[in-house]
Amino acid sequence: MNNLLLVRAVAFNAFAENVRNRFFTLFAVFAFTAVYASVLAGVMAVDQEARVLADFGLALIELTALAYSIFGASSALLKEAETKTIYLVFSRPVPRWAYLAGKLSGTLLTAGLMLLIMGAMHLSLLAMRGFGLPPFYAWALAGTFLKLSIIVSFAFFVSLFSTSAVSTLVISSIMWTLGHFASEARYMVERLPGIKGIAFSALLWLIPNLQLFNARDAAGAAAALGPAALFSAAAWVAASFLGALWLLSRKEF
Amino acid sequence: MTAPAVSFSGVEKTYKRPRLLGAEYHTAVKELSFEIQAGEVTGLLGLNGAGKTTIMKLITGLLFPTAGKVRVFGHSPSEVAAKARVGFLPELPYFPPQVKPAAALEYYGRLSGLSGAELSLAIESSMRKTGLEPHAGKRISEFSKGMLQRLGLAQALLHKPDLLVLDEPVSGLDPLAIHDIRALLAGLNSEGRAIFLSSHSISEVEKLASRVLIMVRGALAVTVSRAQWEAAPGGLEKIFVEAVK
Repeated sequence: MNNLLLVRAVAFNAFAENVRNRFFTLFAVFAFTAVYASVLAGVMAVDQEARVLADFGLALIELTALAYSIFGASSALLKEAETKTIYLVFSRPVPRWAYLAGKLSGTLLTAGLMLLIMGAMHLSLLAMRGFGLPPFYAWALAGTFLKLSIIVSFAFFVSLFSTSAVSTLVISSIMWTLGHFASEARYMVERLPGIKGIAFSALLWLIPNLQLFNARDAAGAAAALGPAALFSAAAWVAASFLGALWLLSRKEF
Repeated sequence: MTAPAVSFSGVEKTYKRPRLLGAEYHTAVKELSFEIQAGEVTGLLGLNGAGKTTIMKLITGLLFPTAGKVRVFGHSPSEVAAKARVGFLPELPYFPPQVKPAAALEYYGRLSGLSGAELSLAIESSMRKTGLEPHAGKRISEFSKGMLQRLGLAQALLHKPDLLVLDEPVSGLDPLAIHDIRALLAGLNSEGRAIFLSSHSISEVEKLASRVLIMVRGALAVTVSRAQWEAAPGGLEKIFVEAVK
């Protein structure tokens, strides 16, 4: 049996379940309201309306997609265990890595769709106000997707040892926040003397540098997301996946 | 010589519950040894907490034994070779309420390695056998408990398993649904499939099984064959009550 077909089956099922879930619609409606409400901030910005609308919209898109994705990732495995659906999966010849890869892919597919929907809403608002496609727009969405990939994978890992979906949500949100201060943290740690400096430098390796994915910060560069960003995302997703797999392979249901 | 469908040899399962200081241990089954032969219908009786569900989960690879050895058709329950030959119906199975039964079965069929025409045939056959065909157009949210149980059985039958492991298959069903499921299980057994079912209903087990295992506080108290309970005054019920008292 081709295990990749199993991954695909689990991924499509997870994607379909996520999209059918009322939270998907609720988040999309919230995003629509929030993105269109940002027109007020744009009007107040007077001659900077295009920039404010673009920045504000992209930030809202990222925060809404983040909230949706962490919410989904935190409960994905827990819900299957609570409803005993997982019994019907793991009593079949489904390797645990294939199930995990499928669930993760399904959650990321949904996050990607959510990003596309919100991006379309945002671009329609910009067009309505007479503005064109901002430079680096696609890169900005791609950067947000890579950040989501890291945090969603991390949330899957955390959900396998945390006691509830809420604690997974909180821990993953803290990681996301810390990840946006990685450069500042590095700057401070570099100034710490002796053993403290070494210890904190080691701890920094446990926090992803999410600033790498802020495409708009890199405006003017040849490509907004360089190889370092892509490599970092791949490494974090792979590390979280392997950690989650290690926990899942020992888990009993 | 062919391997038995299920073989337990000195199996123990202890659950560990982490506490603030240390951990709490609870032994669910201990020193458990038995075999189920291919094509045999075996019942599992016991009071709540006797270890029935633990045994079913050990067979399906959802739990790992703390000690001893579990074999399914000669393989470890975690191996693909074992899982491919087992169909499992857990107690009160859940299916997404928004979809139709064929869609739910399609997913589980794919997980069993089926695809294309083979998958379509398997879905059709499972729905026909479990009497779900007339309800094919309904969403699962419209299903009664009996229909959900039929759907649970249908997903267990998709890949034509040689062993069916059924946890409380008639729990909470009305008499007509019980009658239909009993007939279905008898039919599956006549096709040569081994059936291992747990139940609180002694009369149901008595009607279907050729042999019954009675569990008391995690240990196998008695193994009774049909000939033995048919010859005993008071039948299986009396043997069960005496064993658990």
